[in-house]
Amino acid sequence: MTVTVSASGLSLRYGGTRALDEVSLRLSRGVTGLLGPNGAGKTTLLRVLATAVPADRGAFTVLGHDPATARGRQELRRELGYLPQTPGFHPDFTPFAFVDYVAILKELTDRAARHREVRRVLDEADLAEVRGTRIKKLSGGMRQRVALAAALVGDPGFLVLDEPTVGLDPEQRMRFREVIARAGEDRTVLLSTHQTEDVAMLCHRVLVMAGGRIRFDGTPAELTARAAGRVWSSTGRDPGAKAGWRTGAGGFRNVGDPPEGADLLEPTLEDGYLLTLDGDPAEVTA
Amino acid sequence: MIPALAVPVWRTLPWRTLGAAGAAGLLTAGLSRLPGTEPDSRLALGLLRGAALAGALGLAFLLDDPARDGTTTVPTGRAARTALRVALVAPVAALWWAAALLLVPGAHRPPAGAVTLEAGTACALALAAATVAVRHSDDPRPGRPAATAVLVTALLAPLLLPSRWALFTGPEDPRWAAAHDRWAWLLAGAVTVGVASLGEPLGHPFRRTADQPT
Repeated sequence: MTVTVSASGLSLRYGGTRALDEVSLRLSRGVTGLLGPNGAGKTTLLRVLATAVPADRGAFTVLGHDPATARGRQELRRELGYLPQTPGFHPDFTPFAFVDYVAILKELTDRAARHREVRRVLDEADLAEVRGTRIKKLSGGMRQRVALAAALVGDPGFLVLDEPTVGLDPEQRMRFREVIARAGEDRTVLLSTHQTEDVAMLCHRVLVMAGGRIRFDGTPAELTARAAGRVWSSTGRDPGAKAGWRTGAGGFRNVGDPPEGADLLEPTLEDGYLLTLDGDPAEVTA
Repeated sequence: MIPALAVPVWRTLPWRTLGAAGAAGLLTAGLSRLPGTEPDSRLALGLLRGAALAGALGLAFLLDDPARDGTTTVPTGRAARTALRVALVAPVAALWWAAALLLVPGAHRPPAGAVTLEAGTACALALAAATVAVRHSDDPRPGRPAATAVLVTALLAPLLLPSRWALFTGPEDPRWAAAHDRWAWLLAGAVTVGVASLGEPLGHPFRRTADQPT
């Protein structure tokens, strides 16, 4: 597959905290999931790749554009759609006016063409019916979709989405997945999330971050396979399990190193993720 | 593109804050016309300085932008967007200041050019503080720290500045002309700092800049 985003040795410190520690990655078209606990460095990595904040060290290119120069950064931004973790709005704007404002900032200057593009992304984000309603009157899920529409406007080749499904109800999340999946058909999408189901359903590839480093880089199936033979059921809490919980059926589901003769279960992506976080910090699987 | 941006950027300006500060400034200047007030030049100058401070505190909020997180990474640079904000508000601020001057009875009005230089410098300092705050933080609302810095500076400067560097003199004071030379230097300094801080945000204070994109 053609590499569209390439980064090597990205490092960034906030005071005494090493937010990114020699992160290297290569992305191609499609949706790549970025998993990790709070404080893992996911948002920092996304902000660096979106040129919202410069790295202390390291380099990266997006679609051949190098942000180390002002010209390269501007070219990159012309190809970029960014949905931040906590998108803000001008509350008196309507979705149409807000996305139109972002479209102008993205240098879509022809008024008629720009308005067509704004209507297209509002349709894509399923906001056509509320495009004239003030943002302050919209629900949290709808506001999130306004932010997604703003990220999509201008048909960017690289889409950076920072926890776009957080706080959404199941139906809203389903709609979001539809939009993200469509976007990933012909773009490079980097999706940061805490929802392993989002990754399982949307992503052709997944990165797991912890402590500012990439701890896993592979397919969702490969991440799931890390837990093969390490998930088992028991009638009581197994003290040897790294994680275990009572299921709705009454038994316990355990993740870790099973005892001899344990009743093994089919692992999930979440099991693989938990075991990856629990593993050797120096270990990176690609 | 800039003409297309003018209308939406106009709508994003913090008009309520600017309006409140402007109203406070006009009320302050208008105190000299209150019935029973015995206006004199010294009082008029103090009231105009108060009005200028109110206006400057309002302008400290000019760069507040709740949508900042999502619009930091657009190709239209921050320098152009900041310049547009300043350009849009400048005529309004000029009219407002003219009104404040006219509220003071002509017989007691201090020299308009000198006091306008003071007001312009206060506003430039406020804008420079906001620009520095935007460059060195991720805060979408840098107005509060910028306004605090301006207010503290305005309160401390008359107390702490030695006599030979005095800024807040009266027209009858022999240091008046020299003080306004210093105001002019301050204005130049504020503009320089403001312009120098128009680059892309660094994210947080005291970042090493050796590897920053140019």
